[in-house]
Amino acid sequence: MTGAAASMTGNLRAVLRPSVVISVAAVLAAALLGVALIFAMGVPVLDAVAAFVDGTVGTPYAIAASINRSIAFALVGIGFVIANRANLVNVGGEGQIAMGGIAATAVALYGHVDGLPAGLPFVIPLIAAAIAGMLWGSIAGVLKIKAGTNEVISTLLLSFIAVWLLYWCVQSPALLRKPMTNSATLPESLEIPDPTKLPLLTDDYSFPVHVGLPITIVIAIVAAIVLSKTVFGLQLRAVGFNPIAASRAGISYSRMVMISLATAGALGGLAGGFMLLGEQYVLKDGFSSGYGFDGLVAGLLARGSVVGVIAAALLFGFLRSGGINMEMVAGVPTALVMVIQGLIVVTLAGAAFFIGGRRT
Amino acid sequence: MSDPIRNLSEPLLTLQGVTKRFGALPALSDASLDIVPGEVHCILGENGAGKSTLCNLIFGVHVPDEGVMRFHGKSYQPAGPSDALTNGIAMVHQHFSLVHNMTVVDNVILGQQSGFVNTKAWARRLERLANDYGFALDPYAKIEDLSVGERQRVEIVKCLIRQPRLFLLDEPTAVLLPDEIAALLEVCRRVAESGCAVVLVTHKLAEIKKAADRVTVLRGGRVVARSDHPAEEIDALVRAMIQGDVKSLDKSAASALSVVEADGSHAGRAAPAETPAQEAVQIDGLTVIDGQGVTRLDNFTLSIGPGEIVGVAGVEGNGQSELAAVLSGMAAPSRGRVFLGDIETTHLSPKEITAAGIGVVPEDRHTVGCVVEMSVAENIFLNRLEAFTSFGFLRRKELVQAARELMTRFDVRAAGPEVAFSALSGGNQQKAVLAREITLPKLLFLLAAQPTRGLDVGAVAAVYGHIRSACQRGAAVLLISSELDELIAVADRIVVLYRGRIMGNCAANSSERERIGAMMAGQAPGQAA
Amino acid sequence: MTWELFAVFIGSSLRLAVPLLLAGTGELVSERAGVLNMSIEGMMLTGAFAAAVGAWATGSPPLGLLIGIVAVFPVSLLQAVLSNTLRANQIVTGIGINILVLGATTLAYREIFGARSREEIPGLSKWSPPLLGDIPIFGQAVFQQVWLLYAGLAIIVLTALVLRYTSIGIVIHAAGAEPRAVDKSGVSVAWVRYLGVIFAGFMSALAGAFLSIGDIHTFTEGMTRGAGYLAIAAVIFGKWTVGGTVLACLLFGAATALQFQLPTLGIDVPNAFLIMLPYLLALLAVGGLAGRQTAPRALGEPYFRR
Repeated sequence: MTGAAASMTGNLRAVLRPSVVISVAAVLAAALLGVALIFAMGVPVLDAVAAFVDGTVGTPYAIAASINRSIAFALVGIGFVIANRANLVNVGGEGQIAMGGIAATAVALYGHVDGLPAGLPFVIPLIAAAIAGMLWGSIAGVLKIKAGTNEVISTLLLSFIAVWLLYWCVQSPALLRKPMTNSATLPESLEIPDPTKLPLLTDDYSFPVHVGLPITIVIAIVAAIVLSKTVFGLQLRAVGFNPIAASRAGISYSRMVMISLATAGALGGLAGGFMLLGEQYVLKDGFSSGYGFDGLVAGLLARGSVVGVIAAALLFGFLRSGGINMEMVAGVPTALVMVIQGLIVVTLAGAAFFIGGRRT
Repeated sequence: MSDPIRNLSEPLLTLQGVTKRFGALPALSDASLDIVPGEVHCILGENGAGKSTLCNLIFGVHVPDEGVMRFHGKSYQPAGPSDALTNGIAMVHQHFSLVHNMTVVDNVILGQQSGFVNTKAWARRLERLANDYGFALDPYAKIEDLSVGERQRVEIVKCLIRQPRLFLLDEPTAVLLPDEIAALLEVCRRVAESGCAVVLVTHKLAEIKKAADRVTVLRGGRVVARSDHPAEEIDALVRAMIQGDVKSLDKSAASALSVVEADGSHAGRAAPAETPAQEAVQIDGLTVIDGQGVTRLDNFTLSIGPGEIVGVAGVEGNGQSELAAVLSGMAAPSRGRVFLGDIETTHLSPKEITAAGIGVVPEDRHTVGCVVEMSVAENIFLNRLEAFTSFGFLRRKELVQAARELMTRFDVRAAGPEVAFSALSGGNQQKAVLAREITLPKLLFLLAAQPTRGLDVGAVAAVYGHIRSACQRGAAVLLISSELDELIAVADRIVVLYRGRIMGNCAANSSERERIGAMMAGQAPGQAA
Repeated sequence: MTWELFAVFIGSSLRLAVPLLLAGTGELVSERAGVLNMSIEGMMLTGAFAAAVGAWATGSPPLGLLIGIVAVFPVSLLQAVLSNTLRANQIVTGIGINILVLGATTLAYREIFGARSREEIPGLSKWSPPLLGDIPIFGQAVFQQVWLLYAGLAIIVLTALVLRYTSIGIVIHAAGAEPRAVDKSGVSVAWVRYLGVIFAGFMSALAGAFLSIGDIHTFTEGMTRGAGYLAIAAVIFGKWTVGGTVLACLLFGAATALQFQLPTLGIDVPNAFLIMLPYLLALLAVGGLAGRQTAPRALGEPYFRR
């Protein structure tokens, strides 16, 4: 076989390897089950599917909204994969997003950044968001190193705490709540000033994909390269497989734990920043709801590959948009999408037995 | 020794043409043997010959791929240990399966009854049984507080309390003091006399000589010899075991297997080049007190000269692990200091220890020594990745090539440098670890803990060869081993550790064997036995 | 603070601790046997939903309780199969099941009751032990509780006794610390771990049922709100002993009760902080404030014979 043909079949084999085939099969099976459930609920299946498709790719606006959602999932998923290389499981995505959102809003509203030149009005709040998420993730890192605390529990508890901190911020006029003119004033922040909003890729408001997309793509590429081609990536893997042997070989366990959890947190925080500065513009209670778990599931499905995270993130981004539209138009609750996601996770977790091999 | 009539009785267990494969490799091929009641039947073979596989097949841990097993004449096909136990077969494994934070009596009760537990009654039964066989046991002690020898006694009692008809012991003496070995063989004798069949798996000839009624020899997964009078046919048995003449063997390797009596004459080892002005390694008052306040290492003081091999004798669990941990930078001592020449290394991190020229071959290869999931090349250079780094990127091709060269030099046999480390045999894995440590740019001190455990004769000889060459280049060597024969064969002098303290030191001569054995058991030199 | 208010505080603390006590004890047994059961949250929610719907449909709360228990069984069986037989990653399966259950119960609730309904559901009756209930001031407030609390306490005591004094207790301890020992004694590790997970499911069903038909007498979507994770934290805090877990759950219950108590004392603390408090305490607990915790050695690792 010629070199080109050989490498193509090699690539094909890599794409079609068992784990990919089973992932796709699981998604399809779950989708079929979803359709069956819609039928069982007495909702006309065609109507529901039409509403779903409309919500995902029906209008440019829908596509853009899906892509923006995928950005958040992808960042959380990449963070998950990085930490998972070191055998750490970050379940606190939702809380990290929340902290990021809080920081971004606070800086955008009260950080006096709107007068600054050259993109700083939105860059600085983004950096603040990433730092807030990083600090939040680092708490779990410190606990792991000092007390051996299982990071699954610590990141999870931190997530709950962060969500309630968010609630507190938007409830309290002393914090981020907009000035209460009367008792009916909603518990949310003021809208962030225009200069702090993320610029869109096209100037077209009917296709509002913001600048977070190219940034996320760059982050994904960097992450993939770091994990597979650098010494740091190798050391991270070593720590993930065998922290004691890695330690004996001179790799600092605490350093690796801190870097992975801090990075995962930072990416989660950044996701929150993108959501606030790029789409929502107003800090509201519960804005991060579900995003953490979706990103986490994207990370789990990807089984260690950054490309897999992107694919899964896009899938869930579009899934969520479709689900929202299905609810609005055809009356199918978004909880159905959750059921499908849960089924996918459980099926793949069980199927791993037949594929063999650990997470990469 | 053995009652001829006993040997003619109906066989209790027969194996015919039994084969077991793991993947492509057959661990056991076409094995046939029989065990009769009341005998002590030894299975002899070096490491990797298939002895453990044989035991596991009998005990039901694995299922044979081919062949037939018969127990009491009837077809015997155990699906798991519970079937073996029901049939009256009990086994003491090499690696104990005891629950560390549970008492002795609870460990014995495990799986023996259902419903409410009368701990006191069980404890009394335990004590009586132990007494019958001549040893003492505290039923209420926690496993984690017991010595290795004591834990083995718990494993033995767990078996004997079921009144088995077949009693399997897989390499039981590896972890015992010389005195304890004699006591164990006595227990085996008594058990056999009561009508039970005892199957003793070992690679040590001394035990064959003392205890065996009959012997079956395994090599490369096959039965290659049998003997009904092993004491008279030892030479033939050895030849069958290692497929070669005793004389052709590396003497140290042979003595380490107790194939020959070690005499401490270091044939083939040149004396150190010149008398050194300064000691290479000085360990001063090293003390380690663990989290529970127990002193694991007590005032350990030792000097090693360049090119000298000092052996640390003692049964596992007497402070060796703590000593190795401190010297390799994995733990900090409570007191004491370590010097490498002029440099103090007491509190250095593993990275700094390696940079200072200290190589460590750890006792637990899989936990501390290597990352089995990663490739051979990655493992070999895991502590020296900087040599292959440009701007943070790994120069993988160079890494793989360098690994290939080292693998050839050190005879590490594998499909290639990029194969997973787990695919290598134990011997090759150990050679790879040695390759990593000995080729440190300026190796001043080599710490080797139990380096030949589980290795076959060929690999053992290779390991000794590398240790000696490191010596010749001027490195100081500290060899920690629970195999006294190995130390006598390889080391220049020996210090004995007992309960964390140095009991004494002496030259590595076989004439000192008894004295060393006594010290290993806790008798200070000069004390009456 | 008056004695009456204090009594009310104690009573509320107990009431709010009940779901944690029940779920925590179940999780304790599961973890002692070696299975980390992240799906406790999902199993509690299933129990809450099924018990609520059952009580509503049959009009009988005890029957609803039974239906709740039965409904949780397949969920716990799923977790057991995934964790033991298929050797899946226990954290992944736990979270997956939680997501699945949250979606399924929300969906089913909407189907049956329509969105945002807060239909009143017949609830379990209260009971008070004979003498204790008559203590002046304290009696009513503290001891007049839903009977499930007392049944639950009895089960917890029974569990402690079984773990300590029976052979099953020894086997469970061994399965989590050194499963090879169990295997080599001829007992099936998988069987023990299945037992642990199903027991956890049973207790979670009781916990969930208490929430819906014991306490609030309704079902709201996602009503467990992280209680399952608090139960897991309580087990860690309690160092995998029954007594420790019980104390941790009572502490978390008291922290939750403060939410309602402090305003009555005129102390003005932001509500969000009080809601957050149990999680904060749990975080401090697992973060080593109460000393280092050593989990059962084989926790979270599927066992297979090598």
